Amino acid sequence: MMKQYSDLEYLRLSKWQKFLYKIVSFFCAIPRAIGHFFKNIGGYIKKAALAVVGEFRDIGVTFVHGDWKTKVSYLVMGFGNIARGQILRGLLFLLFEIVFIVYMIVAGGHWMAMLPSLGKQGPTQDYNAVLDQYTTTYHDNSFKILLYGVLTIFFIVAFIYTWRLNVKQNKLMEQIIKKGGKLKSDREDLRSMVDENFYKTLLALPLTGILVFTVLPIVFMILVAFTNYDGAHNGFSNNLFTWVGLDNFNTLFSWKSAGGGQSYSATFGEILAWTLMWAFLATFTNYFLGMFVAMMINKKGIHLKKMWRTILVMTVAIPQFISLLYVSKMFARNGLINLTLGPQGLGWFKQPLPFWEDATWARVTVILINVWIGIPYLMLITTGILMNIPADLYESAKIDGANAWQQYTKITLPYMLFITGPYLLTSFTGNMNNFNVIYLLTGGAPTNPKASGAAGSVGYTDLLITWLFKITTGAESQYYLASVVGIMVFVVVALISLVVYNVLPSIKNEEDFQ
Amino acid sequence: MASVKLTNVKKIYDKNVVAVHDFNLEIKDKEFVVFVGPSGCGKSTTLRMIAGLEEISDGTVEIDGEVVNDLQPKDRGIAMVFQNYALYPHMSVYDNIAFSLRLKKLPEDQIYERVTNAAEILGITEYLMRKPRALSGGQRQRVAIGRAMVRDSKVFLMDEPLSNLDAKLRNQMRAEIILLRQKLDTTFIYVTHDQTEAMTLADRIVIMKDGFIMQVGTPDEVFDMPDNLFVAEFIGAPKMNIIKTKLLEENGKYYVTPFGAKIEVDGDKGKALADRKVKSGDVLLGVRPEHIELAKAAAPHAIPCKLVVDEMMGSELHLHVDTEDGNRLIVRVPTLDLDKEQRKALVTGAQLYITFEGKAMHLFDPESEKNLLA
Amino acid sequence: MSKNENTSKRHMGIKAANRLSNGFIYALLVIISVIWLIPFVFILLQSFRVESTNQVGYVIPRQWGLQNYKNLWTSDFKRWYLNTFIISLASAVLVTVIQLCMSYTLSRFRFKLRGPLMRFMLILGMFPGMLTMIILYRVLADLGLTQANAVPGLILVGFASSGMGYYVSKGFFDTIPKSLDEAARVDGATRLQVLYKIILPLAKPIVIYTILTAFMGPWGDYVFARYVAFGTSAGYNVAVGMYSWLTNDQINNWYTTFCAGGVIVAVPVTILFLCLQKYYVEGVTGGAVKG
Repeated sequence: MMKQYSDLEYLRLSKWQKFLYKIVSFFCAIPRAIGHFFKNIGGYIKKAALAVVGEFRDIGVTFVHGDWKTKVSYLVMGFGNIARGQILRGLLFLLFEIVFIVYMIVAGGHWMAMLPSLGKQGPTQDYNAVLDQYTTTYHDNSFKILLYGVLTIFFIVAFIYTWRLNVKQNKLMEQIIKKGGKLKSDREDLRSMVDENFYKTLLALPLTGILVFTVLPIVFMILVAFTNYDGAHNGFSNNLFTWVGLDNFNTLFSWKSAGGGQSYSATFGEILAWTLMWAFLATFTNYFLGMFVAMMINKKGIHLKKMWRTILVMTVAIPQFISLLYVSKMFARNGLINLTLGPQGLGWFKQPLPFWEDATWARVTVILINVWIGIPYLMLITTGILMNIPADLYESAKIDGANAWQQYTKITLPYMLFITGPYLLTSFTGNMNNFNVIYLLTGGAPTNPKASGAAGSVGYTDLLITWLFKITTGAESQYYLASVVGIMVFVVVALISLVVYNVLPSIKNEEDFQ
Repeated sequence: MASVKLTNVKKIYDKNVVAVHDFNLEIKDKEFVVFVGPSGCGKSTTLRMIAGLEEISDGTVEIDGEVVNDLQPKDRGIAMVFQNYALYPHMSVYDNIAFSLRLKKLPEDQIYERVTNAAEILGITEYLMRKPRALSGGQRQRVAIGRAMVRDSKVFLMDEPLSNLDAKLRNQMRAEIILLRQKLDTTFIYVTHDQTEAMTLADRIVIMKDGFIMQVGTPDEVFDMPDNLFVAEFIGAPKMNIIKTKLLEENGKYYVTPFGAKIEVDGDKGKALADRKVKSGDVLLGVRPEHIELAKAAAPHAIPCKLVVDEMMGSELHLHVDTEDGNRLIVRVPTLDLDKEQRKALVTGAQLYITFEGKAMHLFDPESEKNLLA
Repeated sequence: MSKNENTSKRHMGIKAANRLSNGFIYALLVIISVIWLIPFVFILLQSFRVESTNQVGYVIPRQWGLQNYKNLWTSDFKRWYLNTFIISLASAVLVTVIQLCMSYTLSRFRFKLRGPLMRFMLILGMFPGMLTMIILYRVLADLGLTQANAVPGLILVGFASSGMGYYVSKGFFDTIPKSLDEAARVDGATRLQVLYKIILPLAKPIVIYTILTAFMGPWGDYVFARYVAFGTSAGYNVAVGMYSWLTNDQINNWYTTFCAGGVIVAVPVTILFLCLQKYYVEGVTGGAVKG
């Protein structure tokens, strides 16, 4: 490990030594941060285990010490509430229990039973003598089994939680009654929904939406990564799909040549490298150039500030697909730029420029156009913060003898980086998943011939996210592979965030400085 | 018009940070109680627990004999004035003051009467149509008080209401709060970090530190007989001089020996020491700056020292002096007591002699920092 | 002598130096403005070109006319435009309600699961949203909300998980002093009354910002809209529909029509945006960075 300097020792280092020291400490902190994380996980697991044991003990103790109303509630949820006068709460508990039991008998049990196999019988061809032809009969549906299986598991978890809540409530009610307190009436319960429990009311709809339309699909898709779900195994009309364990991860990480081209892992590595490079360049070019433009407009003595800003802001308003598609065509081989400036026009160059045909040209162009897209937005963001930097900081720097550049590097930049630290992180991960810019500009082109064997047609400007899209919409629709790629995107984003969160204090202690 | 009783009240935040330990206090009807202490001592937290803005981790709060732990703030019969005024920026002054009455669905003519009445008392009638942002700090403070006044509440809570005002305005508003109190004639709980405010406003002062009550008493009690070193240093300005020295017991008489002098602890304090049969030993001697006098060199027990800084405060002088063994003391001398010659002699480096009387001395145990006589 | 020179140089004046650098900045700003505006000017010009429908090597039309706009009228564009407009309006209402509920709650209430909930949503956000398209498509298909019926499907999916985008407005709510809530609660307001009597009037900028962004979002939504419409023109939104004009086999017939469509889409949205620019800037600078 590296030498740790004390504060005073550090102050005596030269500028370069300080710089080096900071860099080294940054990287040395990464393993520690990761180690810390795993150490914490151990703690969490222990805590969780203890909590579970505690819950079970409490359930037991409540039953033994509880009165008969409480004991009945273990079977008939909400009985304790109804018996003690909280009709509304009790009925809700009871209703939930009935719905749950009916659901499990009618459907849930079936889905749960099928979940381990994801279906036994695919579609069959039967000869129909009357019509004198083969008709297809559909049987199990792997997709539905997986989907409703997951939903049933959610439901079971919710039921266990509610049952536990029901037990807790009984315990609490007994305590209150023993102390001579008064239980909340139904009216008070209802009134609390707009007062102390208002947050539950407010969150009910948004969280249900997130649960059904984000959490459920994500769990489902993670599970798909362990199946062979693709166009040829759609689980219903052709073949069922089934669990395949870690096979798909093996495919992605194998070094075996795929379909005559390079291996999947090489393709994945190339795309990941470009994705990271893109995210880094896209984030920081926009950031610094946007800040630069904002500073120019903000400078004292520049007139028509509002006009300059409006010109740039206007471009934020125009839907991106219009500007991106238009610019994409503008740079095409037979687009406006090549036609006007190239051999057929002014003749500035002999050959049409290969904006979208050459890998390097395409990558550079994409980044430049992204600057064009992104600067107005960054200009807006940074303008606000720049104006918030206390003027006396600059005044004191001027008196201390700092020139404009020094003022920028010593005051503006640290302040900006500090305030915008979290924003930079989200914008980095956002750029990693910036589907629109890449897909609408290049569609991933130019094609990478070496990766021809990989699913989808992989191009040099493809990000992981556009590759994922191509895999699912490609001829073979390898959903399982898309799902594995998606999981890898998550892993990369999570790792980066984790490291940045743990290493950069400005993000961790964000609120301290506001 | 209500009593407030706090029994074993505790506030524990996540991660077991204890903000208030075991707070016990009974506030009588119509009493004006001030919670005072340095920032982070738990005084505001306690007030906010009474108000219902902060959950009570343990113990009970009673208002007029009713346990209010589980009541919402609006159901506790309290009114509150906030440090940053908390005026609703989108409402006029009139609407601000009328807000609570409208929520109670009072008829508009009654609201009008009450609001204008309060505005008149506070002298803000001419601003009723303005928005808060068009008011000065003092005016905003009046509106905030007006908003609390119209509510006919049982308890009036004030959380550092004057700390956002400048010094002059603060003095003025302090006097007005005293007048207001006479008019409203209700129970007041007032939080401040300023001991002057506490001394001038309170019937009883509660001095807090790190979540503990250090002393509860009338302004006179906490000034004359501080329970411990913290209270002694916190109350009074400039703060009390503390000198490490020895207490000697000779034939039933007690002496302290600061800086080589030997001064008898006479009067009531000496008797009290004798009654408690205090033994000789190390002691912390506290003397308030206003109880030290300048003396002639020849005076008995005169302690020689050098003048380091003198601050002219107008009616009085604050002299910072160094004794021969390097202790820094502050001496407060009324300007009137000095003639021209004496005043001229007070230059940096001047040789001075000081003395103090035995009855002005406070004695603390160096270990527990408790007052030996408390 | 040299000393004199030195002082005169030092005294050459902040003014002159400033004038020089300001001149430079003006030049730069003009260049930037040109670069930023030029593509849009081109789109506008080409939308009036009638002599050819493909890409050409000049900008100013040789023959002006409204043929391209007439083409729009006869093509499916009307339908796409209506689809997008309906989705936008619905999302402006629904997404705003959901996001405000979420962000107000997370800004103002301290409940036991608040921290875990926010962390959970942060982690959820790290999954590429595209991953969920496959299943959402199948679910919508089962509900009959795809292809020609894509509009209700897109509205449903768009607003259902919009609670995840609470960051910006939470950042704004955080700037409203909490003591206002407390004062109102002491004054006798329930939490609900605090919300609509105190907070909402003060949160006007962020409400308008949220409505504006929720309204503008669907105009650029491409990938999921394409997935859900799945080749049925009646279910397209403008982005999917107009993209289909620029594929390699269509572009020569539809390029100028695309430009006309771009103008029709961009003009109202831009005017709306510029009118509400103040609130947008306030939202972006106040909330986006604080996060």
